[in-house]
Formats: sequence, C-alpha cells, structure tokens
Amino acid sequence: MKAELEAIQAEALEALKAVKTPDALESLRITYFGRRGKLTDVMKGMGTLSKAERPAIGKLANEVRTTLTQAFEKATEALHHQQQAQQLEAESVDITLPGRKPAYGKAHPVMQTLERIEAIFSQMGFQVATGPEVEMEYYNFDALNTPADHPARDLHDTFYLEARGWKQHPQEEGEDARSERLLRTHTSPVQIRVMENQKPPVRIIVPGKAYRVDYDVSHTPMFHQVEGLLVDTHATFSELKGVLASFVRQMFGEQTQMRFRPHFFPFTEPSAEIDISCTVCQGKGCRSCGHTGWIEILGAGSVDPEVFHAVNYNPAEVTGFAFGMGVERIANLQFRIPDIRTFYENDLRFLRQF
Amino acid sequence: MNVTVNWLKTYIDFALSPSELADRLTMLGIEVESIKHLGAELAGVVVGKVTTIKPHPNADKLVLCQVDVGEAAALQIVCGAPNVTAGMLAPVATIGTELPNGITIKRAKLRGQESQGMLCSEKELGLAAQLASASGLMELPPTMSIGMPLAQALGLDDVVLELEITPNRPDCLSLIGVAREIRAETGNALKLPQVNLQEDETDIREMTAVTIDAPELCPRYAARVIRGVKVGKSPAWLQQRLESVGVGVINNIVDVTNFVLMEYGQPLHAFDYHKLADVKHGLANGALRRIVVRRAAEGEQLKTLDEVEHKLTSDMLVIADAEKPVALAGIMGGYDSEITAATCDVLLESAYFQPSSIRATAKALGMNTEASYRFERGADPGTVLPALDRGAQLIAELAGGTLCAGSVDVYPGQQPLVQLQLRPERVNFVLGTALEATEMDAILNRLGFHVKATDGEYQVTVPTFRSDVTREIDLIEEIARVYGYDNIPTTLPRGDIPVPAPEPRTEVRKRIKHFLLASGMMEAVNYSFCHPNCFEKIRLNKNNPLREALQLRNPLSPEMSILRTTLLPSLLENAQHNRNHQIDDIALFEMSTVFLVGGTSRPDSPVKEPERVAGILAGEIGGGVYGNPYRCPDFFDIKGVVEGILEVCGMTDYTIQQTAEPTFHPGRNAEVLLADRRLGIFGEAHPRVLENYALPYKAYLFEFDVEALVGTAEFSKRFEPIPIYPNVQRDLAIVVDADVLSDIPMALIYATGGTLVESVRLFDVYLGDQVPAGKKSLAYTITYHSATETLTDKAVNALHDRVVKRLNCELGAELRM
Ligand SMILES: [Zn+2]
Repeated sequence: MKAELEAIQAEALEALKAVKTPDALESLRITYFGRRGKLTDVMKGMGTLSKAERPAIGKLANEVRTTLTQAFEKATEALHHQQQAQQLEAESVDITLPGRKPAYGKAHPVMQTLERIEAIFSQMGFQVATGPEVEMEYYNFDALNTPADHPARDLHDTFYLEARGWKQHPQEEGEDARSERLLRTHTSPVQIRVMENQKPPVRIIVPGKAYRVDYDVSHTPMFHQVEGLLVDTHATFSELKGVLASFVRQMFGEQTQMRFRPHFFPFTEPSAEIDISCTVCQGKGCRSCGHTGWIEILGAGSVDPEVFHAVNYNPAEVTGFAFGMGVERIANLQFRIPDIRTFYENDLRFLRQF
Repeated sequence: MNVTVNWLKTYIDFALSPSELADRLTMLGIEVESIKHLGAELAGVVVGKVTTIKPHPNADKLVLCQVDVGEAAALQIVCGAPNVTAGMLAPVATIGTELPNGITIKRAKLRGQESQGMLCSEKELGLAAQLASASGLMELPPTMSIGMPLAQALGLDDVVLELEITPNRPDCLSLIGVAREIRAETGNALKLPQVNLQEDETDIREMTAVTIDAPELCPRYAARVIRGVKVGKSPAWLQQRLESVGVGVINNIVDVTNFVLMEYGQPLHAFDYHKLADVKHGLANGALRRIVVRRAAEGEQLKTLDEVEHKLTSDMLVIADAEKPVALAGIMGGYDSEITAATCDVLLESAYFQPSSIRATAKALGMNTEASYRFERGADPGTVLPALDRGAQLIAELAGGTLCAGSVDVYPGQQPLVQLQLRPERVNFVLGTALEATEMDAILNRLGFHVKATDGEYQVTVPTFRSDVTREIDLIEEIARVYGYDNIPTTLPRGDIPVPAPEPRTEVRKRIKHFLLASGMMEAVNYSFCHPNCFEKIRLNKNNPLREALQLRNPLSPEMSILRTTLLPSLLENAQHNRNHQIDDIALFEMSTVFLVGGTSRPDSPVKEPERVAGILAGEIGGGVYGNPYRCPDFFDIKGVVEGILEVCGMTDYTIQQTAEPTFHPGRNAEVLLADRRLGIFGEAHPRVLENYALPYKAYLFEFDVEALVGTAEFSKRFEPIPIYPNVQRDLAIVVDADVLSDIPMALIYATGGTLVESVRLFDVYLGDQVPAGKKSLAYTITYHSATETLTDKAVNALHDRVVKRLNCELGAELRM
C-alpha cells in the first residue's frame, strides 16, 4: 500500500505538469479526489490494514493527500494567473486614442486677470466696492476735482446719454431736464460714493467696467479698471509706494522693477504714474516699451484735499491715497495680444487659449 | 510739445546726453515720449563740390562729374540732373548711405561708367517739405565747408524731444519753462534772452490806445507798434528752429511771433496796423488806432485767418478796432488784418486771457490753436511784457523797421502774488519722509519760488508762471517731485483694516460662475452696447419693457448706440461670429449688468443696473472625437444647466413652467418661478431668431436675474443623517395619455409614499408601436426607505400597490408589463 500511495503521488504530480486548461485540471482532480478517485479508493482501503500498519500508512496517506492538495491549489492558481495574463494581453488598448475629457469652461482672460488683482488686494485688507456705470457728471468729474471747464476733461472722451430728465447733483430735489448722464470714464466715482456713506478708515478696491469714446488696436470703448482707495488718519505717500510695491511683486514677480513718476490727476496730489520694467525685454528696451525699458501700468497719488471736501471729510484730520489701473493693459502684458479688441469678439478659438 | 536740445541749451547749460535729459525730465513729471535725432536720416550724406563735368560717352542725358568731398581723391559720379553745373555745392550720398526713401547707394556702373555715389535733390533727402525748391539737385550755399556732414551743415545735428505736458503745467509749454525744470534738476543758472530795444521818438500813445471793456475775460492787454518793416523770408536760423519743433514757416513777422510763443509760452499776435480802422474823430491822446477788447455782439461775424466765417455770441471775447472785430481773442487773428507781403507797420499784441472763456469759445467754434491751447490752460500774466519786448526786438532786427517808444499795457486784473504757508512737518507727514526744512527751501528756490522763513514757519511766494500752485499740498508735490519719488521710502500701511460687511452677491456670483465653467461653458464678455434692432431680432413683444433702452448721444456706430437690457442678443451674436468662423461647438455664458430705465435700484438714479447671467448652447456638444462623438444639444441640456444654477444657489422651492416668450420655440421654453417672481427663462431659440442670426442649427438659451437669486439663495446647510437601513428599489412602468406631463405621476408617487419614498427617478419615456396610439409609457425607479427600520418586502409591496392604484385611479395609468 505504501508503494501504491507513492506511485499515486508521483503519477499525479507528473500529470499536473501537463495540465493546460481549467477543465483538464478539474478532471484530473476528479481522477484522484473524486468519489471514485484513486486517492479516495486508497483511503477507503485503509480499513483492511492491520493495526500495526495503520499508523504509518495513515500518516503517509495524509502526507500524500496534503502534498497533492497543495499541488492542485498551486496548479489552480498558476493556471488562473496564466489565464489572467492572457486576458490582460488581449485587452490592451491603443493608448494614443483620444481621452474622453470632461467638458470644462474657462473664465474670460480679462476676468482671470481681474480676479488675480482682486485676490492680491484683498490679502492686504482691501474690500470690493461697486457702483453704477451710468453716472452723474458730479460723481465722475466734479466731486473728483474736475470742474466743467477743467482741461483734464479733454483727456476723457466721454459717452453721454440722451437726456431723459435727470438731476445734476445728488443733493438736488427732483430731476433736471438739462442735466447730463454719462457712462463713467473710470471707476473713481465709486470712491466718492463710498466716502459719502462711510466714515474713515476706508480701504476699498473698485473693480468694474468703464467707458471712453475710443476704438483702435489698443483701446476698446468699454474696458475694465480696478480703482483702490485707502483713507486713514495717517496714510502717507510712502504707504502708497508700499502697497503698490507689494502688488507689483505679487502680480509680476520678484524680479520686476517699479518706478514712480510724477504725473497729474485732478483728484490726487501728489500724483504719480507707475511703471514696471518691461516684461518683454526685462528692461533692456524693445518695441513693446518704446525702447525705454519701462511700461506704464498704474496711476496713483495722495487723495487731493478737494476730494475730501466734496465728501465732508476734514483734510486736516485724514489723509489717503488712491490708485487705478486698466485691467486689459495688465492682462496684455502677459498675453501680448496685438489688437485688444480681440478680447471682446468672444471667438472660442481665442477664449480657449487662456 | 517738441523741444530740441540745442535750443534748450541757449537758455541753460547742462551736461546731459539727450537720453539722460529725457530720463531726468520724465522723472520730474515731463514725460518724454520720443527722442528723434534730426540728422539721423542724413547719415552718410556730405557737402560735395562738383569740380568738372564731362559728357557721358554712352548716354545723352547723363554727365560724368568729378566731385570733391574733402578727401584726397575726388569721386566720379554719374548725374542726370538738369541743373548740375561745375563749381556748384550739392549733397553727395556716399557709398553705403541709406537714403530716407529706402534706396541704398552702392558702387555701380551706369551705362558702362562707374559712379561712386549720388548727387541728391531735396526730395531724395526727404527735405522737400522743409526747404521748398525746384526739381533737380539741391543747391547748397557756397560758404558751406566741403566734406562736412550735411546734417551738421544744415544745422540739423540736433535732437528733438517730444514732451507730454500734463494739463496742470502750461508753464512747461515753452522752452524757457522746460529750461526752468532743468534748473530745478541741475541747479544751473537760467540764461534768459537779453532784450535791448532801440526805440524811436514817436510815443506809442500817439499811435494806438487800448480799452478793455471786459476785464473779467481779459485781465491784461499790452501792445507795441513797429513801423517800416519789410515782410519777407526769415533767416535760416529762425526757420531751422521752428521747423525743428514742427512749426511751419510763414514770414519773418509771423515766424517771430511763433518763435516767442515757443520760447516764452506767450502767444503774440501781429496785426497789419493799416488794416485796423482809422479813428476818424481823434481820441483825446491823439492815437490813430484803437484796440477794444470786448465781448462780441450776439451774431457778430468774424472771418479768421483760416478763412472761416464765424458767427459769434456774447460769451466770446474779441479784439476789435474802432469799428469791428479783428481777432478772436486768444484763439486766432482775423483774416482782414493779417500780415501780408505789403504790410509795413505792425501792431504787436501780447495779452493774458481768462482760461475758461478761451476754452469755452474754442470748444464752441471747434478751434484748437497753439494760442488757445496755452491760454485755456493758463498763460503767465507776468510774461506778457517780456514776451512783447522780445517779439518787438526780433521783428525790428529781422524785418527792419523802428519801434515806437514804449508799450501800451492795460492791466485791470492785476493780482497780488500768491503767498502760501508751508509747514515742513506737514510735508514729511504727507510724504512719509524725513526731509530737512533747508532741503525743502532749496528745492522751492530752484523752482523759482521765493521762501521766507520766520520761526519755523515758511512763507512761500508763488511766481506768476505757476498758476497751478495755490495750496500747501501743491508745494508738497513740488518738493516730492524734485526730491524724487524714488527717494521717498516704501512702507506698509499701519492703519486698522476695516471689517467687511457680509456680501451674499459675491457668493452667488462665484457659485454660478464656477458651476457654469465646470459644466463646460466658456465665459464671454461683451460690450454693454448693442444695436437698437436687437429687440426685433430676438422677437421681443412690442410691449416688453426691455425694449426701452438708454441711448447714447455720441455712439461710435449704430451697432453700439444703446445700452443692453438683456444679454441674449450679445450671446447670439457671439454664436454667429463663431459659426462664421466654422466653430460649431458653442457653449458660452456671460455675467454682466444690464441697463433698465424707470426703476429705482439706487435712489439717486433713474437707471437700474441689475446683474444678469445668460448662456447659449448651440451646434454640437461633446468632444467630437472617437469614443466621445459630437451630439446636438437639446432642450434638456439647457434645462440641466438651469437646474444646476438653482441647485448651487441652494434653491428648492422653485417651479418651472411653460411660458410664451416669442424669443423661444412655442413648445420648448419655460420660466423659473419662485412664488410669483420670475427668476429666469430658458428654452430653444425660435427658428426666426436663428434666421436673424444666420445660425444653421438650433440654439438653446437661458437668462437669469442674478438680483433675484441674490435675494433668495440659501446657503445655510444642516446635516442630514446618512441612511442606516437599506433601500428597497422598485421599477414601475405605466402607460398614460401622451399629454400627461412626466412630473404629474412623479408628484403622485411622492404624495402617496410620503416619507417612505426617498426618490423617484424617471428613466424611460416611450411612445410608439408598443403602446396604443395617443398613449405613452413612463418608467420610474422608486427608492423606498425608512429612517427607523428595515422595510420588509411585505411592507414595500403594500406601499407599491397603493402607488399603482393611485396612479390608475387619478391618471388612468395602466401597468406596462
Ligand atoms: Zn521692452
């Protein structure tokens, strides 16, 4: 019987090697472990053994059984892996076929820039304020120290609205048929509206649309501005420089240089224009910067005392500074679009680029 | 305004290169917009002398010239100009020169004869505009030195700076004004013109009298008379000066007035004395001519130098003689009294006019002259006499003639000099600097201010040419400017940061925008303007209030002449633009204010500016690639976008119902209502709208009132327990009449199941052969769930049966097997 068991084991292990399919494996298993299987038969014959033989043969029989069981499990697993490997091979795809990209939209490039500007100033504690785009002359000009006969009004080519009977001044009663409404030429009137309604300290930015009669490769009749205003008991020109230096560093990078140039705005004194080193040539001079190495990006200055008078702030008690920038211009330092009117065609080939 | 470096150097010395000068001026607030080297275009062109001329052996019309250009060997140059003569001096473009017209001079053979350069005409050198002359070679004066670069020989070796002068600095609209800025920068002394007048015996008062009838418009008027002048060409130096800064040359008298205008910034006007009306009934002092500065009579006529006849109003100031207006004060002289070749006596005017009056008149008449530009910004009353004397001297020098003794100077508007107090500590407080008072004093002195210190108080006298300085803050700016903005420290704000009020609008806008971007729509930004026909194009009802739009008085074009009341036309135009460029996967949205009339969103404005968000889906959606083909969007794509917007705004109580906006397909449009308020509309664009925008395929649109969403959005969230007990799902297919809306059975299911129905999902709609005509099949998955127990099959079956019975009972719905 011992020999018989050893023969079965050897025969079964040999047969397993030749098995190639799950079916063959199963029939082989039945050949040995089935109800009429060879090993089953031998086990059944154990009863005929003498008491003396039984322990040794029994032990051997169990060993054979264990060995074969493990061998069958191993073979099963190997066959499974082999089959899986075949399947995986059959399933390989052409990875150069197109991906099924979920549709996603993109914010307009001017809005992307506007949001970046907003984010930088909001970190410095500036809150967003808004105001109407159809304005009174009072807010757009007069309250900003730009009376009707001021030559600075020539710098703004203003869109006026057909008269409908408006009032000229906020304190006036009723509407005046003669008075004008215009499309604001800058977002600065919101400065006045905010100060009229709020005590200092004020720390706001005003993002929004503004309008001027202008239409060429570098001007659109509607454009976006971000205006900033800080009013406090001790706001200085040096703080204006600090705020704008932080902005420039975050917006344009650490390596970007900035310079303050004296300029004129009716509602700030002292006034400045701010240039940054040209983003195209890094300040060496090129066509984009008119070979100066500098590009103007901002107008700014200390709030003119006349503006404080207009909103009933006392210029002896508060000082402040304001700044304003054109969003398209800043966007275009990065994008370098030759004709900025392209921004407002909403051509999808354009919008998808940003 | 243009200035040249050489001209500036006649008023102040400075050792700065043109680009250094440009940089310093820019940093003082006078932005230099361009630097132009005048002679740059003439590089390589020298003065040559034609020594001998021989006929060309192979051409009748050409000659061979030997030309001396100051070098050892003469050049042989082939020339065809008719006026070439031996001994003449002419410009020679040497080998390698690039002429202004783009031609490069090369060593060449012309009809077999070598030519080592080119003899040039004015036109070839780009000089024709400056020095008018006949065709042929440019003839140079025999005194020029042979071989000298032509630019230098013509006095063109100068550099022109184009300056942008801000409106507050009329004093810098002159060479002397700019020189004063250079003084502030360098500290060098100013060299003002030395005026030395040779006057004759005749007292000016015997020649003319001046009366100012409108002193509020003309605070100062001065005049001189020069007799016996000879009108002719100005000398070369004067022509060059004027041409170098872009001022046209006319005659010696007018050129002098323009020269003084550029030099001092003071406009002068020269009248032909004899064309002024004679005073018949002699004035008390015996004067023969009378100048009256007065307001024009209403409707009075004047023909100005440009030969335009103006009808004047009483707001306008004129210079009149004894009978009629002879000049539009401060703007332009009269045609009838202008200087001509026959003029022999000249009355020279120098005056100061009230800026806003000049500005109003110039604007009303559509005129803009060098004179009006300066007067309306504010000339210097203190320069009236120096400029008059300078002009008179130059006229006498250049046109001959003698000067009557003295000048008339009527000055009713004389003001005391402006005195300002300056507090040094205020300067440092405003600027954030730590400047010494002595530094401030030095800066103001260099700018021409006079500073007097008493016990730490500074009294500053403002010179008359700085009419822009009226307050202490203006002095502070002057100090900051000259001290250098770049030298002011850079510090961070120290003040308190104001605490913002909550702003639900920002949140609503942000959520909607993020959702629309995430759903694959691109953000568009359109002009706020549109064409008045857009309402017709989107078929708005005749009585739709959106048709009432604000109109621009000065639009750029009809397409941009009204302000939008809806965003839909812009988006349809965007779709049309893209279709025209073969882009057909159109998914765009825009968020913007529109302009409505008659509302009262802001108490002080009759214009309402509510915000809208609108979108368009048209053409095809999907990737358009293998595995993700294009498909046409339909009504339910736009409805999905609309539902998404409502969801991100936390809205649940809205209803969607069919409406009747003519913009849309009558059976494929809806409005979103919250209670009775319309939040938005959406649907398929009406075929005629598609035709109006030349769209060859369907387009789906939505427009929401962001204001309404801001008012009703609900962002607060409360945790709801995640179900503990398992769900039980049952599918239910019913056959109902084809006109039953799909949400009616759904509502009945919810109503029947109560809290035990967690969700009902419509997964199929079928009309066709498998159901009777006039019927349709709707298939729902119902999810039953209890929050308190595991639902047994038995309980679910009982509930499901009740649902089926109710559908049958109320809708006649049959179960579909
Ligand atoms: Zn550059």
